[in-house]
Amino acid sequence: MVLADGYHFELGFLFDHLGEIGAGLLRTLEISVIGMAGALVVGVALGALAALNVPVVRQLIAVYVEVFRNTPLLVQIFFLFFALPEIGFQLDGFTVGWLSLLLWGGAYNVENFRAGFEAVEGGYVEACRALGFARVAAFREVVFPLGTRIALPSVINILISVFKNSSFMVAISFPELTETAVNIVAVTFRVFEMFLALGVVYLGLVWLLSLGAQVVERRLAIPGGH
Amino acid sequence: MPPWVGPVASYVASGLRTTALLALVSVVASVVVGVVLGTLLTLPSRVVRAVVRVYVEVWRGLPIIVILFFIFFVLPIIGIRVDTFTAAAVGLTLWGSANMAEVVRGAVQSVPRGQGEAAAALGFSWPGRMRHVILPQATRRVLPPLIGLVVNLTQQTSLAAVIGLLDVLEASQRSIERLTLSGGSTHAVPILGAVLGVFFVVCLPLTMLSRWFERRLR
Repeated sequence: MVLADGYHFELGFLFDHLGEIGAGLLRTLEISVIGMAGALVVGVALGALAALNVPVVRQLIAVYVEVFRNTPLLVQIFFLFFALPEIGFQLDGFTVGWLSLLLWGGAYNVENFRAGFEAVEGGYVEACRALGFARVAAFREVVFPLGTRIALPSVINILISVFKNSSFMVAISFPELTETAVNIVAVTFRVFEMFLALGVVYLGLVWLLSLGAQVVERRLAIPGGH
Repeated sequence: MPPWVGPVASYVASGLRTTALLALVSVVASVVVGVVLGTLLTLPSRVVRAVVRVYVEVWRGLPIIVILFFIFFVLPIIGIRVDTFTAAAVGLTLWGSANMAEVVRGAVQSVPRGQGEAAAALGFSWPGRMRHVILPQATRRVLPPLIGLVVNLTQQTSLAAVIGLLDVLEASQRSIERLTLSGGSTHAVPILGAVLGVFFVVCLPLTMLSRWFERRLR
């Protein structure tokens, strides 16, 4: 297939670079998995603390959430990578990769989980208290299992975004999948095929994640609705 | 004030103007295209819905950075040359309109079915049902996620720096590099801190407005 400027469409070169692409994909998966798991843990823990409404703690959590939600992830990455060394914290690309994703996804998930916990009907908690449950026990036994399930769809959306946003690390030249593709283009000039393949890989993985998420959501759906 | 601040500030401010223009263009285009596509997603025609669905799933599923690379590096191969600003605006609009379409579809479908059926029973045609019954209710539900999308798009404009657009982030990066090359300290903390601050000051009120609209819905 010949395109404008005599460009020949040719997918064969991809096989010569399978090793590099695989290594890049592995790094993408590494920072994504750590970032997603961390964002989940931070979200549940701080979301629960915020919902329990402990003074000072709730305000501190709100500051973290608002700062990370209202500034671009890319600028956060730049700050961690280029600015922190100036005040004595030298982080490598891998650390900045998972840490920035964890902090960004965590901030959104705190909001999601907090909203989920607060959406649990007050009557349930009152019923627990009437039965003699302590406040923390009522949260652990009733609000937590219901609230996490209410929050699940929006939490999953953020986790998928975390995976997609791992591509931002191209900006700090961390050799994940996107950076690897850019480097291969620089050597082979096969722009079209490389970015096409890149898009197919990301789309495939994102759709696979969404499919898995739907299964999990159905499994964990609150019987009879909420 | 130290002598490096003045020139850096005016350079970064010129980048900020580019960022603001890019955000404005992308938001307006995303909303216009997204509303049209979102409305198409609520039509009875299966074929129309399937076509729009493919558009939405592809551009929502791809990382924005990959969309930008694709437009900036691949379009020239089929003979369309684009500058960095156009590439960024088109890429952000593809992504933004796909998300906007979902927002509109969600809002229209969140209006209870009975509303449309009641209007139909009273003799309203499809345009009349949409105009007098569905849209007034859907608009209120569209506002919180719409503002969320505006915030998101505004933040994503920073990705244009990766394809070399001289926006607020790229201007800051170049300032930091220039300060490094001319000896002395890089001043990355105050410069990048200021960029974070600018985005924060713009986005926080919008986020709070979105939350206020959401509370009013209940």
